[in-house]
Parts: sequence; C-alpha cells; structure tokens
Amino acid sequence: MQPQVEVMRRADVNKLYDEKVNNRRRGRRPEKQQPERKKKVHRPLLERGMGLDLPFLLLVLVLVIIGMIMMFSASYPSAYYKLNDSYFYVRRQLIYAVIGLAAMIGISFFNYNKLHKVAPLILGFAYLTLVVVLFLPGNVHRWIEVGPINIQASEIMKFALILFFAHWGSLYYDKMQYAKYSVLPGILIFGSTAALLLLEPHYSGIVITAILTVVMLYIGGMRVQYLIAGGILLLVAIFGAWVTGVLTYAMQRMDGWGQALVYTTEEMWQTTWQTRNSLYSIGSGGLFGLGLGQSRQKYLYLPEPQNDFIFAIVCEELGFIGAFIILLIFALLVWRGITLSLRSKDRFGRLLGIGLSSQIGIQVILNILVITDWLPNTGISLPFFSYGGSSLIMLLMQMGLILSISRTANIEKQ
Amino acid sequence: MAKKRRKRTDKGISQVLRMRTTILILLILVIGFGAVSVRLAYLQLVQGTYLQEKAVEQQLVDTTVNSKRGTIYDAKGKVLAQSASVWKVVLAPAYMETKEQREFVAERLSKILDLKYKDVYKKTKQKTYYVVLKRKIESDEREKILALCEEINKKFDGLSNVITLFDDYRRYYPYNDLASSVIGFTGSDDQGLEGVEFQYDKYLTGTPGRIITARNANQTDMPFQYEQNVAAKDGDNITLTIDETIQSVAEKYMKKGLADNEVVNRGVCIIMNVNTGAILSMVTVDGYDLNNPYDLSETDLASIKALPEKKRATAESAALGAMWRNKAIADTYYPGSVFKMCTASMALNEGVVNPNSHFYCSGSVSIYDHTIHCHFKSGHGGQNLFQAIANSCNPAFIDIGARVGASKFYKYYQAFGFSEPTGIDLPGESDDLFFNEDGTMSQTDLAVASFGQNFSITPIQMVTACAAVANGGKVLQPYVVQKITDADGNVVKNTETTVKRQVISTDVSKQMCSFLEQNTTKGGVNNGYISGYRVGGKTGTSEKIGQSQHGYEDYIASFCGFAPADKPEVACLVFFDTPRGASYYGSQVSAPVFVNIMSEVLPYLEIQAAYSGGEKKYVDTVAGSYVGLSVKKAKSAAKKDGFTTTVKGSGKTVIAQMPSSATKIPVDGNVVLYTDKESKKNKVTVPELEGYSVSTVNSIAASAGLNISFTGVTSSSSAVSKTQSISPGEKVDEGTVVTVEFSGGTVVHD
Repeated sequence: MQPQVEVMRRADVNKLYDEKVNNRRRGRRPEKQQPERKKKVHRPLLERGMGLDLPFLLLVLVLVIIGMIMMFSASYPSAYYKLNDSYFYVRRQLIYAVIGLAAMIGISFFNYNKLHKVAPLILGFAYLTLVVVLFLPGNVHRWIEVGPINIQASEIMKFALILFFAHWGSLYYDKMQYAKYSVLPGILIFGSTAALLLLEPHYSGIVITAILTVVMLYIGGMRVQYLIAGGILLLVAIFGAWVTGVLTYAMQRMDGWGQALVYTTEEMWQTTWQTRNSLYSIGSGGLFGLGLGQSRQKYLYLPEPQNDFIFAIVCEELGFIGAFIILLIFALLVWRGITLSLRSKDRFGRLLGIGLSSQIGIQVILNILVITDWLPNTGISLPFFSYGGSSLIMLLMQMGLILSISRTANIEKQ
Repeated sequence: MAKKRRKRTDKGISQVLRMRTTILILLILVIGFGAVSVRLAYLQLVQGTYLQEKAVEQQLVDTTVNSKRGTIYDAKGKVLAQSASVWKVVLAPAYMETKEQREFVAERLSKILDLKYKDVYKKTKQKTYYVVLKRKIESDEREKILALCEEINKKFDGLSNVITLFDDYRRYYPYNDLASSVIGFTGSDDQGLEGVEFQYDKYLTGTPGRIITARNANQTDMPFQYEQNVAAKDGDNITLTIDETIQSVAEKYMKKGLADNEVVNRGVCIIMNVNTGAILSMVTVDGYDLNNPYDLSETDLASIKALPEKKRATAESAALGAMWRNKAIADTYYPGSVFKMCTASMALNEGVVNPNSHFYCSGSVSIYDHTIHCHFKSGHGGQNLFQAIANSCNPAFIDIGARVGASKFYKYYQAFGFSEPTGIDLPGESDDLFFNEDGTMSQTDLAVASFGQNFSITPIQMVTACAAVANGGKVLQPYVVQKITDADGNVVKNTETTVKRQVISTDVSKQMCSFLEQNTTKGGVNNGYISGYRVGGKTGTSEKIGQSQHGYEDYIASFCGFAPADKPEVACLVFFDTPRGASYYGSQVSAPVFVNIMSEVLPYLEIQAAYSGGEKKYVDTVAGSYVGLSVKKAKSAAKKDGFTTTVKGSGKTVIAQMPSSATKIPVDGNVVLYTDKESKKNKVTVPELEGYSVSTVNSIAASAGLNISFTGVTSSSSAVSKTQSISPGEKVDEGTVVTVEFSGGTVVHD
C-alpha cells in the first residue's frame, strides 16, 4: 500500500514489527480490513489538519474552555476571601492552559512510536519519582516541585503505566494469553506501585492504577478467565468484609464515607463537611441550576471548590441539564479517543490511545462518584476542570499524543 | 476450549481488540457514565429540594433583634418595672491567628468584664465566630470595650471584627422589693418568671424582630442582595391597680408588725376596692429585691450553710421558691373568727336569725363526744346577734351555723367564692381545702366551720368575701392589672369589673356593715377603730391545728375590715402567720397594723372623714403663718384658725411662731408667738406621756407648754396612750407638737 512508504520514512525500531503485524493481518484477514479502511477514508476536513482528528481536537478545546469558565466561577470567592485576589486561580490556570495547548499541538506532530522504545525507561523514571517523593518533607508525600510547578508523582506513574502496558501488549501481543506475560507483569507493576502509593499515602492513586492496569491488560489481550477470577476474588473479599462488619468499619474510617448527611459526632460532622456541602451544592442546582456564577455554596461553604469538588459547583450553577451536557461532551471525547485510536495503524498506538482515552473517562466517573458520596473523599481531580497546572499540562500533552495517533492513523489512509 | 481460543487469538488480534474495546466503551460510557448520571439526577431532581433547604439553612443567618419589654406602671403612672438598654459581648475567636493576639484579647477582656482570664483564653481558641462572653453589660463597660476594639484594630491589622456588641435589655425595678410578689421578675432571656411579669409575659415581651441575611461560611455577608428585615415590636405597657403610695404604707406597717410580733411565717395585707375588685395593694412581707431575685436572706443563707453539702442545692431552691411565693394567693389558712362575718351574713340572708335572736354562751358547747370551748371560758351568757359578733362568741356561732344547716352552709361557702380560685390575674393561686370534696360535713365539722376553723382558704378569697359582705352582696373577681396599652399608647385591654354573683341581699349587707361598724366602735375590737372614719371589721385568731412545730401552739392572727362602713370603698385584710411575740391574738397583732395602714390610706383615697362630736377637738388643723403681723393681728388670726396664743417677748411684731406655719396641730392648740429673739431661747422639757388617758395627756401637755397631736383610738374612755413622738426629757421649743398614739384597752381573745 502506498502510505506505507511515508511511515517507513519516519519509522523507528518498531517499523519492522508494525510491518509484520500489518502484513500478517492483511494476509490472513483481508476481507475484514477492507470495509474498515473505506469508512475512514472520505473525510474532507482531515486534510486541513494534516491528518489531525478535528472532532477530538474540538472536544478537547470545548472542555478546556468550559472548564476554565467554571473554574473561574467556582474559585473567585475563595480566591477573594483567602488570597484577596479573585483572579488568582484563573490567571494561573489560563497560563497553564496556553502552555498545555501549545504542548498538545507540538506533541501531535511527534511520532508517538518513539515512545515505544523508551516506555520501560519512563516507567523506571516514574518509579524513581514515586520513591523520591517519599523522602521530600511533608505529611503527605505526593508532590515534586520542579521550578514553578508541582507535579504529582502519581500523575507521571499513571502515564508511565499506560505507556508501558501499551508497549508490553504490542511487544508480546501473541503471548498475552499466558499468565506469565499478562498476570505476572500486571501484579508486579501494580503491586509495586500500590506499595509506593500506600506509603505516600495516596489511596485514590492506587484505585486508578488498579483500574488502569486491568484495562490495559484486558485490551492487551489477557485472558478473561484471569479477570473473572480476580473479580470473583475481589467480590469474595468485599463480601467477607461486609459479613464480618469490617466494611462498615472501614467506611466509617474512610472519612465517614456515605455518612455525610447523618450527624453522628461533631468530629465526623467536621470531617464530612466537604462532602456534605458538595451534596448541598449538587442538590441546590436542581434541573436548571442557579445560573452561571450564582452558586452560594462556593462562598466558603464548599472548601477548595476549584479542586476536586468543582463539579459540585457546576451542578449547582448549571443544574442537571448543564452537568449532563458536560458529561455527554466527556463521553464523546472518550468515545472519539478510543475509536480513533482503534484506527491506528499499529498495535502500540491503539493500546496507548485507548488507555489514555479510558483514563479520562475513568477519572470523570471516579470524581463524580466522590463528590456524590458514593466513593470516599480521596482526591481524584476532574480532567479539564480542576485547578492544577501540572495535571492540566500533562493531560493536554496526553491529548496531544492521542492527536498524534490520529494523525498517523489518518495519514496512513490518505 | 483453551486451545480453540488460542487459535482464534492468533488469527485475529484486531478482532479481539475490537470486541474488547467495545466492552470497555460499554463499561465506561454506558455503565460508568450512566451510573454517574443517574446518581446526579437522583441528587438534583429527587433530593434537590431537601438538599437545597439544607444549603439555604446554613447560608441564611437569622439574627434576632430583641424587642423592648413593656413597662409596668402603678395606678398613678409611677414606674414599677422598666427595661433599659444593655449590651451583649460576643467574641469571634476564629479571626485570631496568633497566640499573642489571643492572649492580648483574653487579658483585656477578662479585666474589663471581670471574668477569669483562663476561661476567656479558652474561648479565644475556639474556631467559631460566635461566642457569648458576657450578657447585660452596662454603658461604662461598653465604653471600655469600644476603646479596646479600637486598640485591637490599631495593634493587629484586620482584627476589627473580633468583638461585637449586641443590643440587649435589662429589667430594672426602681422600688426594689416593693410589691415584689405581685410584680415578679424576669429571667436571663427576658422572660417573665413570677407575678405579673409571668402572667402577662405575652403582652410584655412584644415581638422580637429578625434580620435574615445570606452569609458565607465566615459569617460575613455574601455579595448578592439577600436581606429581609422584620422590625421588632416593643412589648405592651401594663398599668396595675396597685398604688405605690398605698403599697408603701401597707408594707411599712406590715414590716413593723412582722418585727414587733416576731412573726415566723410572713404576713399578708390585701387592700381591695370593694366596688370594682381592683387590688390597691397586695403585700407579702418580707418580700425580696426584684433587682436581685436570687439573693436569699441572711437567715436563709445561714440555715442552708448549716446543711450537708448534698442537700444545699435543694434547700436553696426551696428557700427561693418560698421567698418568691405570693402568700396572699398561694397559701391557705384557717380564717378563724373573721369568717363569722360570713356565717352571720348567710344566717341573716336565710332568715334563720334576726338582729333580735337570742343566743346563750355557757363557756362551752358539747357536740356528740366533742366539747368546744368559747375563748371566754366563763361564758358570755345571753346575747343578741350583734353582741355575739362583738364578743366573737363561738357557742353562739355554733348555734347560728346549726340553724343554717350543713348543705346551706356549703352552698353559701361556694357562693362567697371559697370553693374556687378567685381568678385573680396572678400565677399560682391555690384552691381551698374543705372538709369533704363534695361539700358534705359532719355536725362537728359544721360546728367548727361556723367560726372559721378546720377548713383552709386563701387570703384573697377571704378579702373578696369580705368585700361581698360590705358592697351589697356582690362577689367580684379581683384583679391587679387595670389596663394594657401598646407602645403607641393605644389601649389593648382594659379590665372591667366582673360581678360573679349576688351572694347576700343588699339589706343583709347593710345590716352586716352596721354590725361590724358597731363592733369596731362599741364592741370588744376597739383596736380596729380609726378615729374620724366609720370602719367595719372583725378580728380572727385561728389555731394551726396539726401544724404546730417545735412545741409551740401556733396561731394565725388576722383582721379583716372595710371603710367607710356606711358606704364601703375599700376592704383590707391583715394577716400574720405564726406570731411568737407577746401576743398572738388578731386583736393585738393584726388590728393595730390595720388601723395604722388605714388611717394613712383612707385620707390618701380622699375618703371624707366623719368625726364624732367628742373627737372633733382632737382633729388636727393646719396652723397659718402669723410671722410679720402685729401682735394684735396675729392673735386674732390665730383665734380665727381655732388656736389659743401665748405671746413671748416684748416686741410689737411677731418674728417667729411655734408650731411653724403649715404644721398640723389640734384645734384649741396653743400657738406661741415670739416678738423678740431673747424669748426664743426658752426651751421646755418633754414630759412622760405614755400610759395615760386622753384627758390626762391633754392636761400634762398644757402645763408643759406643748401641743399634742392625737392619733389612734381616742374616742373610747379606756383608750391609753401607747407612744409619743418625742422622747421624755428632750428639750424643745415651747409649743412644739408631740404626736401621741392611743389604743383601746379591751382585747377580744378570739
């Protein structure tokens, strides 16, 4: 095929592998591939973006803009009262967004296949940051200061994990059904990461890492039996905990998870303050919301409304309709990210793109479950909305990677 | 199966990936996002109203603006209870960040407010915005706190909101313990706790105002407009029927009577307008200081201190309860012989006796196995109805009671209002205690009931019944609040006289008035007589059967009377519970107090004096001013006023006079006119004037060159002088007025 030449020109060490995969696939399942390719070809817009997936880019930009507006709305009262500067957060976030968007566009030109080789290296680096962070001062060891910005070590780890399993899954695509190549590395990498995160401590990091590991191994080709077995084990453990009463105890210990509206003790009432006020915010919104900028809960009732609980303010101001539309945009983004990655010409790109896209969806789900008191309050930020320079920049860079995947996928078709 | 699967995997990785991706999308987008959307929909659409309510509840701050409690006035408009502005000190410790700030604020505040530094410092560490430090501070403390606020503001930047002063009110009682049991007092939240303050709390309180504002979690206002003001409505003012002057007079003599007779269980005096039911005065002595209602008397404190630690708190609250108790309406007692006015009334009304009915007293009466003695052991012999009343003869009244009969007796008992609370507008009125609840009584019961023994009533019931006897037979509802006016002066409520029923006919009432008046003038109760006024009344001495303590035989000494007897205006009950002084008889303990009170109250009420011929010469007249006149003119002017004159000195004009002008001296008194300074130096010595008859005192005074003002009972030939206003041996100007008090000689031991 013609496009093959162009890829070859840019190809790194993996080109031979890709060729091999493609040839084999073409050779063995030619009839399945043809209709797929056809679907992707006739898109007039694609050429203008030099193969960039424009719908995906638009969805990212829409989310960044809505996120920025809502972050400003949510943050200005607390910025005003605590820092005497209503624009404190939004000004910084704007700068990060510009940097992040620039990085995203830049990275979209970058051939993601170059990461194939360095994936284990990046994983090693991520481990290093997780270890280093433990030795930094403070009660909670989560952040590394690099110049003006703080980077959360687990953010790097999440990316490194997706990257590594994409690398691993494409490298041993034909051996993934063996436990040695799927369950073992999964347990090893997740286990070690979880242990380090436990020391920080960063429980939500563990949860996300676990889910991402399972997702990556699942799409990488791990046998479903192992997953089912793991799931059964987990259910048995939870059931056991429930029967013995450990679960209730744990729920109480987990900052009064699920108890936000019930007064038990003064201490617990204070602990569940943030979750309770989040529920008040969400409920206050009703169907249509109080109107943009009209939240009352952001006036110091909901602590740090610009961070993890920003979506509660969104619900209060825009109502269920607004919140549902934003959820739809997120869903479209995830959908688009996964489907365009599927079209990638190589397995690495596919796994990487699906991993990165799923990560956004998973984070959104977990974040909203936290603010609605269905999960303990453990610090999961909402992509594109929550304040935080490093995570926004990293997120946009990952979006850049997905765009890069879309670019190569589409160029191939041209 | 495994083999087959491996084969498939080998064949089409893309196929498996595609399938798994679809499942992943299903999991994330359908199940994950679906669950999240359902959760949001549940919270926002189902629970939305509830959660929003909760949110608004914490966002809105409802500040209460205290309303000013209404003023209580006496009948003449004198203030008896009033609220004045004070302040509440509230601390917002959450603003303070450093230890230095906390220590500074705590130290200064503890000094100004006279609080313990430790306690205040503890409060400065709380993470809240509303800690009440002290309530009801006065304006001088307020000034100091305002100065401190300024200092704090200068010293620590941005600490201006740490201390806030809120308007509050405090209750003041200008007359301290005057009418304490009637007025009552308020608690720390300005709520009425006793007396009128309690009974009329709803009127006095007013409606507190509210300011509702939306606040952020720091309790400062949110930027958007959300404020709702409801102005406070001040409480209504209350005008009592109690007259401060009458109340003061009554309290003065009641306190004296309490001390003179060593009364153990307090005393009561009720003065009532017999035609309206308005209570002019209601005294319970000793009262308590309304400004410090929780201060016990020293004797109480001493007896509590003597108790073991554990029992002190209970004893203290019991002592406070007893101190606050309005004895006039809350305590019951055996009315004793005073009740004979009711027994006689019902007998006359039923026609079972007439003024000429004959009664015989041998000194005792036997009823079944009981022998009841008359207080006059040797017996009164034969008597008519008036004599029976005047002698307060028990056997005669047993006869009268028997003629009425038990069922009729109880019917009248009910009709006089003894079987029900009078309905006076004060809290805590007690019920009576009759022999049997259904009103039945044995012959013995009837016999003793005829002279007021073995059933208990309240003082207010007795005075109401006495008023009915005097006013033509109408049983009235007594009341202490005349009218209620709102803050703008509009009348909210005005009390009208409530006539409950006619218990005896007007004729019987007139007959009783005349009997009781004669009783005071001619009968044994000379001590109830007030010179210059026509008074009707009856003494009473009741045994506290079964209630005697400490080996004492305890009694209640009472007197109930009214004036003027021909056209009754006021009724007055004086009653001392358990006098342990020289005498315990109503005639000796209570009647003199009644006389003293009424002889000041009746002139104050502008009730026309009606002196009998013999008394006229003892009635005081005001001396005119004769200074500056020539001796001749002065002499004739004094003669015109009814005085004789003695001229001292050799001058031609009067330069001074004794008694001075506007002094009250009796008609026929002697005015000394001085014409030069030399003669003024002459002094005379006051002689002993106690223990003599009226005429003897008159002649002693005349020879000493003094004028005498006669008070008390002067019309009786057996009247004896009891006190003199200037002690014997003192040197005074010639012509000085010495007041001498007389009292009757005979005593009825009923």
